[in-house]
Amino acid sequence: MPTDVDAGATAPKRGPIRGPQNVVSGVALIALSVFAVYLVSDLPQGTLRAMGPAMLPRWLAIGVGFCGAFLLVIGLVRDGDGLEKWTFRGPVFVALGIIAFGLTIRQFGLVIAGPLALVIGGFASDETRPRELVIFAIVVTAFCIGLFRYALNQPMPILIVPGTSIHI
Amino acid sequence: MRKTLFAAAAALVLAASGAAQAETWPARPITMIVPFAAGGPTDIVARIVGEHMSRTLGQQIVVENVAGAGGTTGITRAKQASPDGYTIAMGHMGTHGAAPALYPNLRYDPAKDFEPIGMAAGTPILIVTKKDFPANNLKEFIDYVKANGPKLNEAHAGVGSVSHTTCTLLQSIIGAKFTRVAYRGTGPALNDLVGGQVDFGCDQIVNLVPQIQSKNIKAIAIATPERSPSLPDVPTAKEGGLPEYEVSAWNAVFAPKGTPKEITQKLVDALDKALSDDGTRKRLLELGGVIPEGAARGPQALQKLVESEVARWTPVLKAAGVTAQ
Amino acid sequence: MSEIISNLGLGLSVALSLQNLALCFIGCMIGTLIGVLPGVGPIATIAILLPITFGVDPTGALIMLAGIYYGAQYGGSTTAILVNIPGEATSVVTVLDGHQMARQGRAGVALGVAALGSFFAGCVATVLIAALGVPLTKLALVFGPAEYFSLMVMGLIFAVVLARGSILKAITMILLGILLSTVGTDLETGQERMTFGFPPLSDGLDFAVLAMGVFGIAEILRNLEHTETRDVVQATIGRLLPNMAEMKQSAWPIVRGTALGSILGILPGNGAVLGPFASYTVEKKLAKDPSRFGRGAIEGVAGPESANNAGAQTSFIPLLTLGIPPNAVMALMVGAMTIHGIVPGPQVMTRNPNLFWGMIASMWIGNLMLLVINLPLIGLWVKLLQVPYRLMFPSILIFCCIGIYSINSLPSDVIFIAAFGVIGLAFIKFGFEPAPMLLGFVLGKLMEENLRRALIISRGDPWVFLTRQIDAVIFGQPVGIPLSGILLAIAAGLLIIALLPSIRKGRDEVFVE
Repeated sequence: MPTDVDAGATAPKRGPIRGPQNVVSGVALIALSVFAVYLVSDLPQGTLRAMGPAMLPRWLAIGVGFCGAFLLVIGLVRDGDGLEKWTFRGPVFVALGIIAFGLTIRQFGLVIAGPLALVIGGFASDETRPRELVIFAIVVTAFCIGLFRYALNQPMPILIVPGTSIHI
Repeated sequence: MRKTLFAAAAALVLAASGAAQAETWPARPITMIVPFAAGGPTDIVARIVGEHMSRTLGQQIVVENVAGAGGTTGITRAKQASPDGYTIAMGHMGTHGAAPALYPNLRYDPAKDFEPIGMAAGTPILIVTKKDFPANNLKEFIDYVKANGPKLNEAHAGVGSVSHTTCTLLQSIIGAKFTRVAYRGTGPALNDLVGGQVDFGCDQIVNLVPQIQSKNIKAIAIATPERSPSLPDVPTAKEGGLPEYEVSAWNAVFAPKGTPKEITQKLVDALDKALSDDGTRKRLLELGGVIPEGAARGPQALQKLVESEVARWTPVLKAAGVTAQ
Repeated sequence: MSEIISNLGLGLSVALSLQNLALCFIGCMIGTLIGVLPGVGPIATIAILLPITFGVDPTGALIMLAGIYYGAQYGGSTTAILVNIPGEATSVVTVLDGHQMARQGRAGVALGVAALGSFFAGCVATVLIAALGVPLTKLALVFGPAEYFSLMVMGLIFAVVLARGSILKAITMILLGILLSTVGTDLETGQERMTFGFPPLSDGLDFAVLAMGVFGIAEILRNLEHTETRDVVQATIGRLLPNMAEMKQSAWPIVRGTALGSILGILPGNGAVLGPFASYTVEKKLAKDPSRFGRGAIEGVAGPESANNAGAQTSFIPLLTLGIPPNAVMALMVGAMTIHGIVPGPQVMTRNPNLFWGMIASMWIGNLMLLVINLPLIGLWVKLLQVPYRLMFPSILIFCCIGIYSINSLPSDVIFIAAFGVIGLAFIKFGFEPAPMLLGFVLGKLMEENLRRALIISRGDPWVFLTRQIDAVIFGQPVGIPLSGILLAIAAGLLIIALLPSIRKGRDEVFVE
């Protein structure tokens, strides 16, 4: 994937952190490594000749930690890319949309989960036109219901109204 | 615009609820949860039996594969399903027999959380060895294993699988320890057995018949009271001198506890009809399946079987120190 | 030779019956359409469409199933190129350059070369199966756990070569991928590793979930941020098919990819997944300008796609000759065959020659049909790309959700793709590539299993990886070939070749892109 070159990437940095991206990712990897080692610490490691369940994960995590340490050092010693900006609208709405689907599909069925995911997710773009999105959501959901439930016979809940016996 | 949409949605819901009131079971397709991946022995039995039951009941039986944790994920979901007759499950010797011993945190009770519907086809277990294993019958096999135990490699499909559980029983009966090698599924295990990388294994007949018939592997014994019509040359464990080794990977249909009696009775009848139908029987027998007859496959017999299997497997597996956390 | 021809003739006569032709066509068609849906890979597609085959006779049903299988592969490649979502492990490589080509407005060319390459591979593979089916099976049986381990190590080295940028980051991602593959229940002891006691994790992470999140969702998130680059891409739609120059460029990659894919596809235990990766590595190393790879090099699509399809076909060999499925998709086919009353095994060839050769012949016909079906469809897909993104990405989203949910009916799977999507975005922003991680994930599982299995069988002797010998007969003399040792040596050699240019350029370039 083409990496974006920030304007400040090659300009010499002031202060101890010369390559912020590398430093942050290095730290994150070290943290992950520590966490993973902790998670398998209560499992038997075994020996090299009879490997236990914890041996490979532990050493892999340590390996990741080492890579993180390398990155951290490089970030302090050499110039590197600066931290990229994050927009929050995109990830937040897309994630919420997917989570909404996950939470409602079994409780309420596709008729609710589909439009929820489509509309909430759709708001992640700053070009959305709400009315158009809602209509689109209903059409696409109907298509999915027709395709997955009726054409392909997938056991997917379509509409469940709790408290009544509606369970399509 | 918004008001119109709302009105339309409300009308739809009302119409649906109106339709729902007037239903007699079954008014829509029934989901059969198969707690294993599609294509495996239990899934095959479920689909064959389900197809015929659909015809009797007048509604499609749709198989939903919910694999995981040796089958317990799917069965847990079946237990939690609403007892309205639209969700049933195909359990087997592992999920409703060995599971309480294997999974300390099991979230269902095989004997108490389900209404037994009936048995489907069971698949007998065979002891098979690689082509050039130095034993040709059960007696020689037992002697060889006793003498060479730790040097021998047994292939199984992972802790919690039928092949693992049944070989644990074999180990405890023979009293010799051998080295157990895990594979991800019976396919790879069988592959290495044919290739001679491992020495023996215990597995369901379905996968093994073609290999035995083409002499890629040797069948030492079959763990049923009588020989199987698909493999008439393979002696039973009883004939070989080990009558305690009687195991079959039985499969059975269950409904969640609390499903109304009228519905379970219809299911019982449909299952019974499926197992009496010539076409269905033929397909199941071709696989090497064993179909219990008459009352032996009914709901009361099933309930007794579940209770006795749990009682049987728990000490065996605990003694072998086998658990899947 | 004449036997092969007469057998193929028998097969063709079976496959060309009107009913079987129609079934083949229907299978290919629906396989493609379902396989195209993001989130629905070949396994899910076959599982979904399996009941449709029930009303048909066994030979016809199998032909239809095979058609569905190939269709799903083609459809999966389409999704990989257009939407950056690999349906299964073998499509991960297609994503690398294929999607880049799509972003450059060359989607049609990418799809076209994938279709043509796959067709060539399919033809060659069919002949291979017909002529060499039985001897090739013996090759499959020769591989033991030690050899598999070494093969996987070799595969992981490929992943290092795959990397476009910093080698350190690539190695990090590979290690991370292998680490993720260990989450779940340990196969040997039954103990749970890193599952937090959360039941859906007890069987580990699903490849589809990981791939969908880290590739598909992350790509959507990235596109939402960089609206400028995206709009330009959608506006320019280039040619719909590769031109002569591009075909010339792709010719040798296609041939090499076919060879690699055919051989690796036979190996049970998912050797087929290595085919596309091996092909990509080879093409990248052989190319005059390797820096084009990862930015839309057509060889990076032609080779791997051919390897993909060749592997998909030759993986039928262990199934048809031995009756042992080499991977999860084939296991599903075994189940499907069994339901139809055919238990696959060594006797199918002799007892059921109509079935066996009919299936092989219909493989070739299926490949032809897919070419015929897919080439016109390219125009349709490319048109689809022109839907305004603000409507397209929610549709991709819902298909992903439904697709993932339909695998195991687990809402937690759906929520995971959201998490991995955000993590994938983080990877992109910090300059890490997801492809090596996915390869590490797939190979890591296999590698660990085989490592421990080999050590158990050798009773703890670590030298088994270098010294284990395979009995072979060369020129009438019995010979022991240390296959595992050879594979490890190749892996070491590859690693050195991969690192050498970087070391020569100076250590700086190794770590900073």
